[in-house]
Amino acid sequence: MAKYVVAGTTVEFNGSDVSANVARCEIVINASEVDTTDFGSNGWTEVVGGLKSGSVSLDFHSDFGSGAISNLLEDLVGTIGTVTVIAANGTAASATTPQYTAEVLVNSFTPIAGAVGDLATFSVTFPTTGEVSYATA
Amino acid sequence: MAVSITGLRNALATNLGTISGLRTAAEIPDNPSPPIAVVTMDGIDYDQAFKQGLTIYNFTVLVIVGRAAEREAQRRLDTYSQTDGIKSGVESDRSLGGLAYDTRVVNLTTIGSLQLNDQTYLVAEFAVAVYA
Repeated sequence: MAKYVVAGTTVEFNGSDVSANVARCEIVINASEVDTTDFGSNGWTEVVGGLKSGSVSLDFHSDFGSGAISNLLEDLVGTIGTVTVIAANGTAASATTPQYTAEVLVNSFTPIAGAVGDLATFSVTFPTTGEVSYATA
Repeated sequence: MAVSITGLRNALATNLGTISGLRTAAEIPDNPSPPIAVVTMDGIDYDQAFKQGLTIYNFTVLVIVGRAAEREAQRRLDTYSQTDGIKSGVESDRSLGGLAYDTRVVNLTTIGSLQLNDQTYLVAEFAVAVYA
């Protein structure tokens, strides 16, 4: 398997599989730029990698069913949660379906959203705290 | 969740059956006895969430209200087109007996005529979205 169409990404939040309520998932890992430009840079800026950071963005389908995503997130604002994502439509970590795990700060939750006639959805972007780990087994 | 399309169709017909005086059918009959509502599949939007967590099934409810020349047919069409008509009937159980997350009559798409056995019938088509 090489290229793939996103259809079956596995998304777990605090150990609960919430994939069926997720329509989009994005993990971003950044490194800050630390300027090292000096008189020897010949007129060019120079940078090195600094501290790393990340974020996890998810588009959810609202669901207030027992144990469903809206109830799951309701009491977690301000706390640290664990997001686990298995890429490439995988169900277990492997070389071709890597698993990313991140501790995130649940810094927002939108329990009510949507216009008349629309499917009720909400989007979140949680900053990561600590390392975003990567596993292939 | 995986659902039976036949089950959805039957459940929609069951909901339509709550409308007084309206017959329902799974297929267009050769000799319809109006007023009658027929549930037909229009299309499916797969993969609305990961792991097939949400699929949108688009149905058309074809309502044959009577022969086009009948004045009574026009009045029936008015009644069925009101928000307390086909829309309320289809949405009387939006979970379709637990088969769906939600059901919505989106719009009345077409009012026109249908030729069956040398008869011209007045028909209306309602678009129904089932989230399952």
